Amino acid sequence: MNDVGHVAAEVTCDPVTLEIVRGALRAAQGEMEALIERTAMSPFIREKKDFFAALFDGKGKLVVGSNLPAFGDIVAPITEFYPLASMQAGDLYWYNDCYQSKGAVSHTPDQVFVAPVFAEGELVAFAHSWAHFNDVGGLRPGSLSPDCVDIFQEGIMVPPVRLMRDGVFNEETLRIFYRNSRFPEMIKGDTRAAVAAVRLGERRLGELFERFGKGRMVDALRQLIERSEKTMRERLRALVNPGEYRFTDMIDSDGQGNGPIRMRYKLTVDADRIVLDCSDSDDQTPGPVNFLMAPQVPSTVFGLYLLGGDPEHLLNDGAVRVIDEVILRPGSILQPRFPAPLGLRGVTLMRNVAACLGLINVATGGQAPAAHAAYVIWYLRGLKADGSLFLMSDGIGVGYGARPTADGIDAVYLVAQENYPAEFLDSVYPVRLLRYAINPDTGGPGRWRGGCGIVREVEVLAPEAVVSVRIDGVENPPWGVAGGKSGGPGRVVLNPGRADERLIPPISDGTVVKHGDVIRLETGGGGGWGHPFDRESERVLEDVLGGFVSREAALLDYGVVLDSEGRAVDDAATRERRRRRPPAKMFHRKEYAELLT
Amino acid sequence: MSETKTNGALRHTVLGIDTGGTFTDVTVLDADTGRIWAAKTSTTPADPSRGFIDGAIEGLKAAGAEPESVTRVLHGTTVATNMILEGKGAAAGLITTLGFRHVLEIGRQDIPRRENMFAWIKPRRPVTPNRIFEVAGRLGPDGAETKPLDEAAVRGAARALRAAGVNAIAICFMHSYADAGHERRAAALVREEHPEALVSISSDVLPVFREYERSMATILNVYVMPVISAYVGQLETRLVEARIRAPLLLMKSSGGVAGTETIRRAPVETALSGPAAGTVGMAFVGAAAGFGDLIGVDIGGTSADISLIKDGRPSVTVNGRVGDWPLSLPMVDIVTIGAGGGSIARVSRAGALSVGPQSAGADPGPCCYRRGGVEPTVTDAHLMLGHLPPWLLDGSFELDVEASRRAIITRIAEPLGIYPMAAARGILAIVDSHMVGAIRVVSIERGRDPRDFVLVPFGGAGPLHGGALARLLDIRTQLVPPSPGVLSALGLLVSNLKADFARTCLQQQGRFDIAQMARVFGSLQLDAENWFERENVPQAARRSSWHASLRYEHQGFELTVEWPGNSVDEASVAEVVRRFHALHQTLYTFAQEDTPVEIVTLRVDAVGALPQPKLSELPPSVDPREAIVARQAIHLGTGTVEAPIYERARLGAGAEIAGPAILTQLDATTLLLPGQRAEVHRTGSLIVRE
Repeated sequence: MNDVGHVAAEVTCDPVTLEIVRGALRAAQGEMEALIERTAMSPFIREKKDFFAALFDGKGKLVVGSNLPAFGDIVAPITEFYPLASMQAGDLYWYNDCYQSKGAVSHTPDQVFVAPVFAEGELVAFAHSWAHFNDVGGLRPGSLSPDCVDIFQEGIMVPPVRLMRDGVFNEETLRIFYRNSRFPEMIKGDTRAAVAAVRLGERRLGELFERFGKGRMVDALRQLIERSEKTMRERLRALVNPGEYRFTDMIDSDGQGNGPIRMRYKLTVDADRIVLDCSDSDDQTPGPVNFLMAPQVPSTVFGLYLLGGDPEHLLNDGAVRVIDEVILRPGSILQPRFPAPLGLRGVTLMRNVAACLGLINVATGGQAPAAHAAYVIWYLRGLKADGSLFLMSDGIGVGYGARPTADGIDAVYLVAQENYPAEFLDSVYPVRLLRYAINPDTGGPGRWRGGCGIVREVEVLAPEAVVSVRIDGVENPPWGVAGGKSGGPGRVVLNPGRADERLIPPISDGTVVKHGDVIRLETGGGGGWGHPFDRESERVLEDVLGGFVSREAALLDYGVVLDSEGRAVDDAATRERRRRRPPAKMFHRKEYAELLT
Repeated sequence: MSETKTNGALRHTVLGIDTGGTFTDVTVLDADTGRIWAAKTSTTPADPSRGFIDGAIEGLKAAGAEPESVTRVLHGTTVATNMILEGKGAAAGLITTLGFRHVLEIGRQDIPRRENMFAWIKPRRPVTPNRIFEVAGRLGPDGAETKPLDEAAVRGAARALRAAGVNAIAICFMHSYADAGHERRAAALVREEHPEALVSISSDVLPVFREYERSMATILNVYVMPVISAYVGQLETRLVEARIRAPLLLMKSSGGVAGTETIRRAPVETALSGPAAGTVGMAFVGAAAGFGDLIGVDIGGTSADISLIKDGRPSVTVNGRVGDWPLSLPMVDIVTIGAGGGSIARVSRAGALSVGPQSAGADPGPCCYRRGGVEPTVTDAHLMLGHLPPWLLDGSFELDVEASRRAIITRIAEPLGIYPMAAARGILAIVDSHMVGAIRVVSIERGRDPRDFVLVPFGGAGPLHGGALARLLDIRTQLVPPSPGVLSALGLLVSNLKADFARTCLQQQGRFDIAQMARVFGSLQLDAENWFERENVPQAARRSSWHASLRYEHQGFELTVEWPGNSVDEASVAEVVRRFHALHQTLYTFAQEDTPVEIVTLRVDAVGALPQPKLSELPPSVDPREAIVARQAIHLGTGTVEAPIYERARLGAGAEIAGPAILTQLDATTLLLPGQRAEVHRTGSLIVRE
C-alpha cells in the first residue's frame, strides 16, 4: 500500500491500539450523528433521521461508513476543484451536485459536507456528514416529484464549493442557497447542524491523531480497511463458486407512463476476478426514477450481506473492493445522462439491493434474503387555514424479505430512519391520522414469512391540498425465494368505502383533495423464504391472531386450517390439507419460476 | 415508628437493602452516631424477598440493633429491570384508539442505526397484538373530543381480556396527554367489568406526546405491575414477621425513593432502581469529602454503569432506554456498557483482539476462580499483572494465578504473536478504552469537560481501573468511597423522597400563553402537593422545582432547563429561553438566537427531604506502614516494581500512601499507580491525586 504514504512503512499499529482506535472512530461517528439528530430542523432529518456521518482516510477512502447502500466516492469530486495540496485546516466543502459528483450523491436534497483533518501539517483524514434537506427549490415543494422531466426541476445544484475557510462561513453562497428554498429557516438550521457535526468529527479525528501519533493512526486506518477487504473476500469466495450468474429485477414505472424498467445483472466469478456487469439494464427513463449509481453501491450491498450482524468489521472501502469491477452503461437506468431527472431514484436504489440479493440467491441456491418492498414516500402540500404553505413529507415503512433463518422484518422504512408519530402529524399539519397499522397478507408466504407493509389512513383537514405519492412494486411485487412467495403489493385509495372511492396512481403527483377526504396508503410486503407449507402451524396461528395473516390466507397459502372460532389450529384438517403440497420453484413473483428474467 | 433501648441508649436505625444479581448488600445506619455497618447475603432469585429479609436480619445483627429500632427501610431492586430485560413480565393487554392496534408492533418503523438490514431481527414486544383491543373515540391534539368514547367497546375489550385471563391492562388513547377524560372513564369501565385487573392509563404514567413511547411506558408499567405489587406485599409481610414496623421506601430510576403506594401504581419507575442508588451514594460520599462534580464508574462482573453529577446533583434524562425499549420517564442518566471483571477477551479469526461484552459471570467466572473457566477475563489480566493479591475476600478464597497466565498466553499472546504481559496489558487497555468511551458520552457529549470532575470508581472492580481511567481522561483527582462494593446500599440510606409530574404544553415564541403555562404548572404543583400528603411529607421537608423542555421551532428534540422560581411571568419565561440558548450552545457547539423557540413540556419535580445522616469520622492515622500485610510484584508497562499491600481498614484519617500500592478490603481492591498519592479522608474515602 505505497499510496498511503511513506509514514505507513515506518510505524505499525498493534492489535490493541487498533481495537481502541476502531472503538474511538465508531464513537466519533455516533457523536456526530447524535448532534445532527438533536439539532436539525427539516422533519426529514429530525423525525425521519435521513442523515449519516462517515470518516475517511487522507486519500478519501472510506474507513467508517453507514449501513446504507446508497453512496459513492464522496471526497473525489471535491478534489477535482480543490486539489488536496490546496486544502487547509479550517476548510469545509459542500455539494449536492449528482452529475458533477458522478453519483457520489444521488438526488439534490441530500447535502454533502466534508472537512479535511490535519496532523503535523499533513492532510490525514476527512470528516463527513450528509442529510436530506426538506426543500432546495425546484418544480414542487419538497423538490422531488414524479412530474420532473430534468434535474433542473429538482432544486438548486451546488457543485463542490468551499463553504468555509479558516472556520469562517462563506455567507454569500449560503444566501443564494437559502433564497432558493421554500423553507429557508429549516434549511438554515439543517446547515448549521450538519456543519457543526462535521466540525465535531474533524476535532475528534484530530484528537485521535494527536493521541496515537500520525504514523500509527495512518496505519490503523489502513489496517481497518484491509481487514474488512480480506474478510469480505474470503467470505464471498467461500459462498460463491466460480461461474456466471444472472438475475433480473424490475421497477414498475417511471411515473410518466413508461415501464416496466428492467435491471439485468450478471456476476462473473473466476479464479482471480469478480465482475458485476449491469450494462444490459434498460435505458434511462423520461421520469425521475433514474439512479445515477456509483460503482461502489452494489459492492456495498454485497458487503452488507457478507457482514451480517458481525460487529468486528466496518463497512468501509475494504468492503467496496470485494467486487473488482462494476460495469455500467451510460444512457441506462443506472447511469443516466445529464440532465435526466433523479428525484425518485429511491425505488431504483432499493431494487438494486434486491437485484444483488437475487444474484447471491442464484449463486448459492437460496442462501440470501428474499426481496423487500421499496420504502414509500408521499407528500401532502397545500395551504393551512391561515394561508401559510405547508409541506408534509411522510415516509412509510414496508415489509422486508424473509431470510433463510428468520421472518422478514415487518413495517420498517430503512436503517436508522424513523416515522413521524401520529401525534406529531396531528399537531403540526392540517390532518388527522385515522389508522396506522400492519397491512395484513402483504408478507410473502413462506417457511419464513416476508415482512408486512403498513396501512396509513389520513383525513385531510386543510381546505384543499395536493397529493404526491411514490409506491413501487405494485405490478411487480418483491419476489420470494427457495419456495417462498412474493410479497403483497401496495396501493393508494382515496375515500375508501365511500361512493367516490378511487385509486390514486402509485407513482403520481397532482391529485387534488379537499377537507374531509380520506387518503389511505397501503404499502407492500417482502417476499417469503422456503415453502409456506413448511411453516409451523403455531406461527401461522399467531400471525392470524396478531393481524398479520388473514384466516383465508392461512388456509390457501399455508394450508393451515383453523377451528370455527379461528382461535386454534385444527391439526387433523391441517395435516390433510398439507398432504396436497403445491410444487414450488426457486423464485416466485405472482407465479413460480426457476429464474427471474 | 418504634424505638428501643440498647445498652441504656435510645437507638434509631435506618436499613438500606440493595438486591443485586448475585449478592444482596445491606447497610445499617445508626442515625444518632452516624456509624454504618455493612453486611452481604446471597440474592435469592426464586423469591427475592427472602434474600431481602435475610439481609435485613444479618445487617441488624452486625449492628447489634433490635428490629424495633428501625425507623425506615430503603430498598433498591432489580426485579422490574430483570423482568423487562428477560421478557418475563405479566401477560398484559392494551386498550387503544381505533386504528392504532399496531403502534407497538411498528414502533418507530426503523432498523436501528447500527444494525444490519439483512441480519436484524425485530425484538418481540412485551404485549402481543392479539391482546390489543381498539375502541372508537378520539381527541384532537388540543384535548378536545372529536368522537365520543365507545363505552360498549371498552366493556367488550375488558370482558375479552378477562376471559383470556389477562389481569394487567394498559390504556393508551391518542392525544390523552392533552386530556385524560377518555382514559379515566375507560379505566373505570374496565374495573367494573374486570375487578381483579390491575389497570394503568397513559395519562398517569407519561402524559407526553409521541404515541409509541407513551404506549410503551404504560405497557411496561402494567407488565411489571402484578409481580412488583406482590413483591412489595411480600416485603411488607416479611418485615412485620421480623418485627420491623418501619415504612418501606423503594428507590426509583430518578434517584429518589417513594412509598409502596406510589410504587404499586407506577412500578416501572423502579426500572433503574439499583444503578440509581449507586449514583445517590456517590453524590453523598463526594459531598462529605467536599466534592460536588463527580463522574462515577461502577464496575461489576459483567457491566459498568457510568454517570455524572454536577453541583451535587445527578444528571437526569427523559430519553432513557431499558433493554430494547425506550422509557421516556425521568431517570438518572446512566450509560451501561458490557465491560466488567468477568468480560472475556478473545482473538478473532481475522486477528482482532476484543474484550466483552460476553462475560464469564459468576459461574464459571474468571479462570483464576478454579470453577472451570478457560477463557481469559479482565480479572485474569489484573491477577497476572499483579494488580490483585492472589486471594479474594478476607483471604479465605485463593486465586489460581497459573490458570490466568496459561489462558492469556495460549488464547491471546500466542495467536497475536505478542509477549504475555503485553497481552494482559492489552486486555486492560481495551476494556479501559470502552469505559473511557462511555465516560465521554456522559461528559464530553453532554458538553462537560471530564477534567473538571473527580472520578469516583466503585463497585467491586472499579478501584482497580480508577487510576488508569483517570490518566486516560487527564483527571487529576479520584475519590474511592469507604466501601466501594456496597455504595448503592449506602445511597439508599441517604436518599430523599422524589416524584416528577410532567405534561405537554406546546407554546411558540411570540405567542407564549403565560396564563396557560401558569395553569399547567399550577395543576402539576397540585399533583405534587397531593403526593406530599400521600407520602406524609412534613411541610418543612417539601421542596419542588419546576422545569421546562424547549426546542427551536422545527426541531424535534427538546432540552430541559430549570425554571427560575415557582411562578410564570414575562421575566421567568425570558430567563428560561436564555437558559435554553446557553445549554444548546454548551451541548451542540452553537445556539440559534435568530430562530423562534418552542416550549414543549412542563415538569414539576417534588422532593420530600428525609433526615440525612452524618458519617462518623475515622480516628487519626498512626503509622500507615503498620497496615502493610504483604508485598508483591506489579508488572507495569515500564517494568516490574515491588508494591506493598495495605489492609485499608487499618488506615486512619490523614494517612498518606504513595503508589505503587495495593489496598485491600472485603468488597474491593484499589490499585495505586506509581506517581499517584492517596490520602485517607476523615469520612473514610480515599482521595487519590496525581
